[in-house]
Amino acid sequence: MARRGRDDDDDEVEEEEEEDEEEAYDLEDEEEEDEDDYEEEARGGGKASRSRGGRGGGGGGRKRSREDNFIDDSAIEDDEEDDDDGDGGGRPKKKGGGGVRGFFDEEAQVDEDEEEEDDGEGEDDFINDAGADLPDEDVVRGSRHRSMPMRDEEEDIDEIERQVRERYARSTHIEYGEEAAEVEQQALLPSVKDPKLWMVKCAIGHERETAICLMQKFIDRSDLQIKSVVALDHLKNYIYIEAEKEAHVKEACKGLRNIYASAKITLVPIKEMADVLSVESKSVDLSRDAWVRMKLGIYKGDLAKVVDVDNVRQRVTVKLIPRIDLQALASKLEGREFVKKKAFVPPPRFFNIDEAREMHIRVERRRDKDSGEYFEMIDGLMFKDGFLYKTVSIKSISTQNIQPTFDELEKFRKPGDDMNGDMSSLSTLFANRKKGHFMKGDAVIVIKGDLKNLEGWVEKVEDETVHIRPKISDLPKTLAFNEKELCKYFKPGDHVKVVSGVQEGATGMVVKVEGHVLIILSDTTKEHIRVFADHVVESSEITTGITRIGDYELHDLVLLDNLSFGVIIRVETEAFQVLKGVPDRPEVVLVKLREIKSKIDRRASAKDRSNNMISAKDVVRVIEGACKGKQGPVEHIHKGILFIYDRHHLEHAGFICAKAQSCLLVGGSAGGRRGNGMDTSDPRLGALRSPASILQSPGRLPPRGPHMNYGGRFGGGGRGGRGHDAMVGKCIKIKSGPYKGYRGRVKEVTGVLVRVELDSLMKIVTVKRDDIADTPTVATPFREPRYSLGGETPMHPSRTPLHPYQTPMRDPGATPIHDGMRTPMRSRAWAPMSPPRDNWEEGNPATWGSSPAYQPGTPPARPYEAPTPGSGWANTPGVSYNDAPTPRESNYGNAPSPYVPSTPVGQPMTPNSASYLPGTPGGQPMTPGNVGMDIMSPIIGGEGEGNWLLPDVLVNVLRAGDDGPGVVREVLADGSCRVALGSSGNGDFVTVLPNELEVIRPKKSDKIKIMNGNFRGYTGKLIGIDGSDGIVKLDDTYEVKILDMVILAKLAS
Amino acid sequence: MFFHIVLERNMQLHPRHFGPHLRDKLVSKLIKDVEGTCSGRHGFVVAITGVEDIGKGLIREGTGYVTFPVKYQCVVFRPFKGEILEAVVTMVNKMGFFAEAGPVQIFVSNHLIPDDMEFQSGDVPNYTTSDGSVKIQKDSEVRLKIIGTRVDATEIFCIGTIKDDFLGVISDPGAAV
Repeated sequence: MARRGRDDDDDEVEEEEEEDEEEAYDLEDEEEEDEDDYEEEARGGGKASRSRGGRGGGGGGRKRSREDNFIDDSAIEDDEEDDDDGDGGGRPKKKGGGGVRGFFDEEAQVDEDEEEEDDGEGEDDFINDAGADLPDEDVVRGSRHRSMPMRDEEEDIDEIERQVRERYARSTHIEYGEEAAEVEQQALLPSVKDPKLWMVKCAIGHERETAICLMQKFIDRSDLQIKSVVALDHLKNYIYIEAEKEAHVKEACKGLRNIYASAKITLVPIKEMADVLSVESKSVDLSRDAWVRMKLGIYKGDLAKVVDVDNVRQRVTVKLIPRIDLQALASKLEGREFVKKKAFVPPPRFFNIDEAREMHIRVERRRDKDSGEYFEMIDGLMFKDGFLYKTVSIKSISTQNIQPTFDELEKFRKPGDDMNGDMSSLSTLFANRKKGHFMKGDAVIVIKGDLKNLEGWVEKVEDETVHIRPKISDLPKTLAFNEKELCKYFKPGDHVKVVSGVQEGATGMVVKVEGHVLIILSDTTKEHIRVFADHVVESSEITTGITRIGDYELHDLVLLDNLSFGVIIRVETEAFQVLKGVPDRPEVVLVKLREIKSKIDRRASAKDRSNNMISAKDVVRVIEGACKGKQGPVEHIHKGILFIYDRHHLEHAGFICAKAQSCLLVGGSAGGRRGNGMDTSDPRLGALRSPASILQSPGRLPPRGPHMNYGGRFGGGGRGGRGHDAMVGKCIKIKSGPYKGYRGRVKEVTGVLVRVELDSLMKIVTVKRDDIADTPTVATPFREPRYSLGGETPMHPSRTPLHPYQTPMRDPGATPIHDGMRTPMRSRAWAPMSPPRDNWEEGNPATWGSSPAYQPGTPPARPYEAPTPGSGWANTPGVSYNDAPTPRESNYGNAPSPYVPSTPVGQPMTPNSASYLPGTPGGQPMTPGNVGMDIMSPIIGGEGEGNWLLPDVLVNVLRAGDDGPGVVREVLADGSCRVALGSSGNGDFVTVLPNELEVIRPKKSDKIKIMNGNFRGYTGKLIGIDGSDGIVKLDDTYEVKILDMVILAKLAS
Repeated sequence: MFFHIVLERNMQLHPRHFGPHLRDKLVSKLIKDVEGTCSGRHGFVVAITGVEDIGKGLIREGTGYVTFPVKYQCVVFRPFKGEILEAVVTMVNKMGFFAEAGPVQIFVSNHLIPDDMEFQSGDVPNYTTSDGSVKIQKDSEVRLKIIGTRVDATEIFCIGTIKDDFLGVISDPGAAV
């Protein structure tokens, strides 16, 4: 009876623990208890617990589950049963198996089979013994697992009973006593005296098996000195063994086939021991309808919705937008050889059965066993409503920080599905809330519970709890809500800033509130953006959001990987919106950072319909195509495509893409541009205004613009500061060195080094003087003609510079699509001499009239060409004004005698220069570049006339017989001068043609006169020379100006 | 809403303007400087109606400029949330339309246009009701309600709605007012 009594107690304890431990099993327990009761009746109370064990096959299944919970008690049963009850046969083993399973849930199935076999032989007799032995085993186990002192098996039964009570009392306290102080908890942590934990490598996938083997070994061999074995689900390839010494571990592992003899045994530091066994708390437990992202495979990064969670098997079923290559699938199903391209990931697309059928893919319709829903099955893939249902391991999805974008959510939305009703998906969003999501004063709305739709303001935030002051007055002053029950609330008209999500950083005004989704009108793009109310805060700030990722910034022109290009019109968190350079229709693509090859940072230019040069920042109007009528400054030019920014254009951040040829430069001419920019009051000439390009493009160049160079030429001393050498400007061929074989033009000579502008490379290189050879064939030696020919009248050179820019045939730069178009211009512009010289030479009337290469090939060039001689460059009133209407004639008329036009040149200058600048609206006002140029290089106006002489200027007379210095006393109407010979002007008066004069280049501190530009006629003092710039202090205003040396002339003292 | 208020401003005047017409100069400069500007607090200064007081000028050291504190009366225009305005449509696009009420630009999003009005693209983009009786296009006059304002240093931008009773096109005689 004593035994019975004890059994009862034992049973009670068991029951108690059971309840505490596994509520989930309550139901079963109850059932079982019922049975127990029943059996008790039949057999007498004391046997209840044993009867359970002894029940035959019928109760086996349930019993097993129950036994799982009783591990503590029954675990070691078999030990003793083996010893005590030889007649028990397989029984103890079975029991043991059940117990063991408690430790190692599934692996225990190894034993299960046996158990099943044995189930039939349940014998009540035997049970008695088993029951009797139970407590002992408990204690043994306890000693192992709870560090209780090892007990002698022979100890008194009462003692055992007492101990059992003690143990359970305590264990209850430890395990479930919530009030257990932290100190007590701390005391349980392992110390140095406790056995250590060793990490042992084992065969991958056999962790549990290894642990069981070790346990079995421990059971079989009492000399094993290990304390426990742990196999963790989340740790592959390793098990933990608790033991005092490494040697013990080694001993235990010896002979196990899953542990290699060579396996390393690592000691787990005491500090980390607790972590090994602590349960990883998953902050987000997966629930249905939650949003997750795939971590692996072709769906990597894709958004998925959880449809089913199997916690036991650690698998989830998710709903995805399939990325199926039907073609490949069809091939595969038909058994054809299919070459798998690794790089290719099919785009996400809803699955269409009809499409599949068309490709002769067999689609099965099957009912899912669990959910009862029908799925379309293809090759083991399950589809429903176009979505792919995929069962994956929990590890292969990421559940943290999922921030689905609107686009993604939209796709998952069934038509008619209300976003707000989607509570779980919202809760996913809420889970990503940052700390301090709600702030005092925020307007919120209750989205869950009895008070749903109650509005209010946040009063106080305490961790998860938010106290709000409800809007409705009858309610209590503040109400407390869980953070998750609240959502921010905005009214239309609120100005907000997006603080998270894809649109992060953008600001705008709320236009519409659709539940928890706001439609915001962005401040900068004037576009609608949809965001979650949760992602915004009220703000008065105005921004666009982020404007750059990596090296690329908003509004940059970028080269995409497929060699197309475009302008970044929007920067999103991980991608750019790029307006592609396709002129016909606006094409916007979303590209990732890695898809952008490079930034196009080149300053290109293009020609508009009327062949005006267009550079960045010029204002153009689109005259045809989709964007006809739009107007704005050019932001980028690439391959003849313009990107125009029109602030009135609301789409694409105001950017318009158009072909240069379908645009017209605003302020440029509509009908083909004429020669020179000399503007006069003559209306006929007004129409012949200089093409803006002439003024513009060079105007934007550094002060070393071409104009001055012409000036320099006429002045004669222009290049004095630089290596003034007969070689400068010559076309040469490099005969040795790395650039051997290249042709180019000499830019500068410094000692033995020569800087050569290469014809083919568009760059300037420095070579040794010995390395170059003249190439008379190509060279157009300008020096000689310059002196020998009278043709160097200013008008010629002044006309010439037009050529390189206007005649596409001449110059690679002129063909609009040519990449390097800008370069030649520029480089020529640097080269003080090259363009004029070269053109001038060819522009020499003789060659000129007969060189069709210039004009005829390109129609736009022709009109320009025509007027030039008359109006533009020959500013001679006598000739040009009359000739202007018939420019061609005048042109040819001029041709035979260079002298004719040259003579009058001097005269018109004065009026021209005055009227010139204000008079060229085409060029000047619209090009910001020019403004800078005015300051930097005042010769802008000099282009037409060249700078020519003014009275009191000191000159060198080059005429034979009268060689020597002189002072200009008077400039005659025909351009020639009366010069008083002698450096102080004391000598005889002679009348000299301008080309026989050379201005004497002033030196520092000389008094000077400015011969050209805005300041023409002003006098001043040269206070310094910087390269080819002179620093001049004007006499009148004491202003200090930087002017090109070539327009400065020394004043006679 | 228009207000007639008194504002004060410190005007700087170049010494060359000193003379018998100093006051005139000052006033004309004031008008030039102030009219058409916008401040977040007061809105647009529409017109100066009078000068109340010109204080004593203070010569600024170094420059020679003289600073006069000027008190002036002016009419200001400041849009408010909830205000009903009449405005002229300046641009219509698929996202809504822009309208102007004097210096104030108002955007009416398509979400704030009655649902029965649909955007019609084409040569003259417009919003039209399904029966075609009401049409909003460029240069239409509409009555709208301001639901939000954004005040920059130089402009006030508003968002309006016509999705409310008695709002909508007013220039078209066919439309109900």
